[in-house]
Amino acid sequence: MSWLSRLNPRGPGTRTGRHAAPSSPCTADPETCLMVFENHWRQVSGVLKPRESSVGGYADDLTAVRNHTDQMLCLLAEESPAGGDIESPAMGPILEMVVAENILDELVQWHLRRGLDPDSQLELLKLFEMLIGQSHQPLLLHSAVLQPLLSLLGACVDPQLGCPAALESSLVLLLNQVCVCMAKETAVLELIFRCGPVQQGPTNLLIFSLLVPFIHRDGSLGQQARDALLLVMATSASSHAVARHIAENSYFCPVLATGLSGLYSSLPRKIEVRGDDWHTLRREDWMGVSSLVLFMNSLEFCNAVVQVAHPLVRCQLLDYLHNGFLVPVMGPALHKSSVDEMIASTAYLDLFLRSITETSLLKTFLRFILLHRHDNDTILDTLLTRISSNSRLCMVSLSLFKTLLSLNCEDLMLQLVLRYLLPCTHVMLSQRRAVRETDLYGKSADKFLSLIPECCRITAAPSSERDDEPAFWGKVLGSPTSESPVHPRPNTPSRLALFIRQQSSGGQANPPSSGSENAPSSPRGSISSPLSPDSPMHQLQDASEGETGYLEYLRDARKGIELCSWACRDWSAPYDGENPSPNSVLPPPPPPMSNPSLSMVQEHFSIMDPAQQRAAVVAAARAEWSSSDRDSGEWDVTISKNCISLTPRSKKRSLLPSSIPLQSSSSAPVSTEITGAVETVSQHSHSAPHPPLYNGMGQVELTDSVDERMEVKKVKRDSDVNNSVVESGMNGSMGMCPVDYNDFHVGSAMKSSQVQVMPHLQHQTSVPSSTHECLQSESQRLSPVPALTETSTVPHESRGLESVERLIEELLERAPSEPLSGDSKYQGISIEAFHQELRELEERVRERRVLSRSSEESSREFHTAPAPSLTDEDCLPVETEQRFSETKPDSSAPGVFSPARPLGQPLAQPYTGPFITVLFNKLESMMQNSLYVNILLTGVVFQLACYPQPLLRSFLLNANMVFQPSVKSLIQVLGSVKNRIEAFAAAHEDFPAMLRKARRFLVARGKLDWSDSPMGVPNLRRSDSLIKSRKPSLGDLILRHTNSPTRARHAAQLALAHVRDGGQSLHSALFRGGAASGASGLEKQAEALRVKNAVYCAVIFSEFLKELAALAQEHAVALPFPPSQGTEE
Amino acid sequence: MVERSDGEEQGGPGEQRSSPAHPPFGKKQLPSIPKNAVPITKAASPASSTESANGTHASYGPFYLEYSLLAEFTLVIKQRLPGIYVQPSYRSTLMWFGVIFIRHGLYQDGVFKFTVYIPDNFPDGDCPRVIFDTPVFHPLVDSVSGELDVRRAFTKWRRNHNHIWQVLMYARTIFYKINTMDPLNPEAVVLYDKDFQLFKSKVVDSVKLCNSHLFDQPKIDDPFAISFSPWNPAVHEEAKDKMFAYKRLHSDPLLTAPHNQRWAEDYNKGPLVSGLSWVKPGSTQPFSKEDIPLQT
Repeated sequence: MSWLSRLNPRGPGTRTGRHAAPSSPCTADPETCLMVFENHWRQVSGVLKPRESSVGGYADDLTAVRNHTDQMLCLLAEESPAGGDIESPAMGPILEMVVAENILDELVQWHLRRGLDPDSQLELLKLFEMLIGQSHQPLLLHSAVLQPLLSLLGACVDPQLGCPAALESSLVLLLNQVCVCMAKETAVLELIFRCGPVQQGPTNLLIFSLLVPFIHRDGSLGQQARDALLLVMATSASSHAVARHIAENSYFCPVLATGLSGLYSSLPRKIEVRGDDWHTLRREDWMGVSSLVLFMNSLEFCNAVVQVAHPLVRCQLLDYLHNGFLVPVMGPALHKSSVDEMIASTAYLDLFLRSITETSLLKTFLRFILLHRHDNDTILDTLLTRISSNSRLCMVSLSLFKTLLSLNCEDLMLQLVLRYLLPCTHVMLSQRRAVRETDLYGKSADKFLSLIPECCRITAAPSSERDDEPAFWGKVLGSPTSESPVHPRPNTPSRLALFIRQQSSGGQANPPSSGSENAPSSPRGSISSPLSPDSPMHQLQDASEGETGYLEYLRDARKGIELCSWACRDWSAPYDGENPSPNSVLPPPPPPMSNPSLSMVQEHFSIMDPAQQRAAVVAAARAEWSSSDRDSGEWDVTISKNCISLTPRSKKRSLLPSSIPLQSSSSAPVSTEITGAVETVSQHSHSAPHPPLYNGMGQVELTDSVDERMEVKKVKRDSDVNNSVVESGMNGSMGMCPVDYNDFHVGSAMKSSQVQVMPHLQHQTSVPSSTHECLQSESQRLSPVPALTETSTVPHESRGLESVERLIEELLERAPSEPLSGDSKYQGISIEAFHQELRELEERVRERRVLSRSSEESSREFHTAPAPSLTDEDCLPVETEQRFSETKPDSSAPGVFSPARPLGQPLAQPYTGPFITVLFNKLESMMQNSLYVNILLTGVVFQLACYPQPLLRSFLLNANMVFQPSVKSLIQVLGSVKNRIEAFAAAHEDFPAMLRKARRFLVARGKLDWSDSPMGVPNLRRSDSLIKSRKPSLGDLILRHTNSPTRARHAAQLALAHVRDGGQSLHSALFRGGAASGASGLEKQAEALRVKNAVYCAVIFSEFLKELAALAQEHAVALPFPPSQGTEE
Repeated sequence: MVERSDGEEQGGPGEQRSSPAHPPFGKKQLPSIPKNAVPITKAASPASSTESANGTHASYGPFYLEYSLLAEFTLVIKQRLPGIYVQPSYRSTLMWFGVIFIRHGLYQDGVFKFTVYIPDNFPDGDCPRVIFDTPVFHPLVDSVSGELDVRRAFTKWRRNHNHIWQVLMYARTIFYKINTMDPLNPEAVVLYDKDFQLFKSKVVDSVKLCNSHLFDQPKIDDPFAISFSPWNPAVHEEAKDKMFAYKRLHSDPLLTAPHNQRWAEDYNKGPLVSGLSWVKPGSTQPFSKEDIPLQT
């Protein structure tokens, strides 16, 4: 903490000349000075004494006294101690005289008697400030100086009104000087404290109480006051009496804490940022926001006070912070219903947590987050649910959790994850011993690496593409055949990391020819040891293997694990499945059955109840393959009488032009009905979940893993089928339905859907076109509608859209060949309307949710019936009919609304906790997540996987572990993502090219970020262990330079220069289809966005797997740290 | 982490000699030699071999091997084998240099340098070989090559069950518990059975011989080879003091481990708040620990 060190007392020289007489008397010898002083004093006393009795006085007198006083005090200030040792210097002659004759007191009393006008008050303050600031002697140790000073100060302050505004700055400056002296001479504090009662009655510490009102001031005034107070705090840390006084008789702590509340309330409710990757408040973000700067100053001050103050004061302050700021202000702020406010408050909380350095203050915050209940939910639970939202809120929440994880706090980890794993019910009984095993032979690592989709293993760029960036691509052997999607290059799984690493490590030479031939065959004998990174063999190996990237991941993993296990070395238990004993622990809280706001079912439809999922899947079947556009397109919200449906706008527009126009939906009468519908739906949603769901596990998943091997073949076959479906769909009304559904079932449903393709096709075609809406409404019911209980899908989708727009705006606007411009205007408008509408919706939903919570018990029954209040006469029959007909062939999944399943579940189902669940769900939907969400998400999982506690480590990273069937493992989640990526790749001919471009873009991004990194990494505590490109940076860069458009443009151009390839950027390439065909640009854009997300996902996914593999390997070789014993010292 | 350990590993043996002699019969019970373990027939090996052979990500193979060895080495460190020090070679992780200090028994005061050779298909291949630099006179040590009969203890090397630290432990055990079955050095067995006094004197000679070669240059030229040098206060005193100082301060030898010291140094510099815990030991409730300084 640099706070104290900043408080260098002002040297005597800094402000000389302001008051010092022009003829500097300090050059003269002490005797002369004394004579001059005496002379002045004589004249002053001449003025003072004769008229002692008279009231008032003459202006002449005042002027004369002032002039003489000026001179006298200058002389006093300039005087040096008259010898003596350094410890107790003898007083100089002038000081001696001042003390002997009590000159200062007489002066001040004279002023006081004749009535202080503000002008002379100001003068006196300045004089004293000069005197104290510049004196070479410890003046304040003499009560002949201290007393008049205190008299003056007391007179300055009207007990009721406080300090006159005109005097503030001088007063604070003087107080600051006094405190600086006090810090130098601790005895002064005692003196002041003892002097106090005479003058000031109960408020002993006048100096202190004078300063308190300025705590939260902005600018230098506030800073000086805080500095001064801090000095008092530090000085008084050892004085129990002073501490008691501060705690009991001053308003210091309440003012400080409640002041924070006041400052918080003036913070922006909405954070306006342009970068679509913005997710956390960096210093450069908030430096420009004055209210935030003010808040942060005060928070920093609190931190400093906690650091230096007496325990009594510290304790009181923490208490006030908890009860006067966190609970009454932060709590409600975090529970605000509008997404913007949630984003802002989450980002603020994150910022605060990152800024605090004092353990006990951090404890106060953590206690608040973990234990405080707001509306029955702990803050932690509330924050958790936000991860599954699909907007900026998700990103902000993820970075908050990143911050939290980086604290390595046992209490937090216990609440977040460990308490759910402690009972060990998630593993098979026979496997409990294996919890502590490490991945000795890289089997888990191998498993993770094997999940890298085949289609992502291509690395070679066609020669035509590598001309512009020899630094990155030139080393890769150009291979025309590499255009084929599954070109096996086992020896170079991915070079992305390599390229990036080379950037950071200064470009290692990598001869292109040495690689491919000898790599797999020879390494055994010639392995060099990681023990000796400088080993010559090592270099050779790196070059031949082209695995620098992986090596870097290993290094990062090692660093992460070491950091984490070092930090955790003082935890109370090892959490290894034996200690704490699984049998002795309290059962973890059950899945949040009854708590709608805790429900993990979010707008990401990947987390549907398995049965529902299955049904939805069956209903949607082939769309999976044909469209791959279930994600983040643009969406129309259709709000009809009783159902709300989301439709990809483009398709709908082209296929159902007569459907309800968007605008009508925002009208008031409709919206009330909306909430009605929403309520039922959300009730349904929280009644539906049961344990398997909470672990993100469904039966579908089982088939998932079984089918894994066959996947690729299937994909091919099915994609053919699907193509034909799309074509036929284009001609009729059917084409859109699958697309629609597609968004509602994500997850591992694809396999089963493949099986169902044909029957479903038939079924669908038999449904009249009006079923469109019914399907939609059904999907609403099928999906647990978190969309509406939380921040909703729609913002997600629009968020995605926005991010594309931003990207386009900010990065590609200068690319003239962009085919985008045409539709963007229209798009922008409608999206705003869309947003607005949703916001209203959300708010209503939130309100309703609060209401519904009270009646949740009764509402639970609803799950047995298909949402009775959804009385859509049109939809219901068709929907049920359809549902049953569809679920029938699927014997492995019970009926959607079958009551048997949820009710029949034993309550003791293992539950791995909401955090794991929400992360896994989010991972499962990686394909739909935006690039930045994925970057953050994988970062959080990485950080979680760094924890050395065997319970956590084995759960995340041990691929050999056998879990209870209802518990989904990370491997399974990733497996399903892999399958989806491969399916996607198989359906897109140009996937390899897109993948290459995506990589290239990310590399360029990483490079750009690297070059600009001196600006500072925001996360103080987390070393940036992700590869550079995975750090959202470009947006930050642009954001950072919002004040300088030229720089921003320059930055964007810089980025583009690397991305561009023959005049075509990645994005233009991805959007190419839109321009080529004359069809609706919107449609193409939606498709392009989906493709973009998927392609980026493929890149991130592959890198993430390497990261996990590296973690698994590094855990096996990590040495534990013994508990620190230093704390006793 | 480990690269730093060479200083300690190399420095260690010199200091250990001055540590007080252990009681004649070690307090620690030697773990049972894996040979006695009931062999569990598990399909692990075939499965794993097919897996490693499937080759989809063969490029990571070297990492697996290297990390397997590193993990084995980590296990060795964690085992804290008494009187045994090993150090992987600079050139290959498949070769480890080691030294054993025998503190009591027939071979008391023996300091035997050895090299461990690990097969390159580890852990799916044969058991590692242990070869003493100077052939020790011992029934299980080949009198010419100096190779220890490891295979008798590890008839079949089973991943997950057999570990290199067990081999090292075995290499130590043979000097405390003489086994005369199926010897590699029949002469030693004959003497052991027939003329124990002569056997003993031969052992003493062998110990002397080994110790006389202690300061020789390492047989294998490798930067990480273990080499001894005569006591030189200028070089060793400081290191020794440091070791013993740490030892007095902290009972846990891991505290003196290089990675811990490095972290202690690096980490405390930063203004990081980390590693917090307010959980009372034995409790699983957050903030269950009473925070004394905060109590008013």
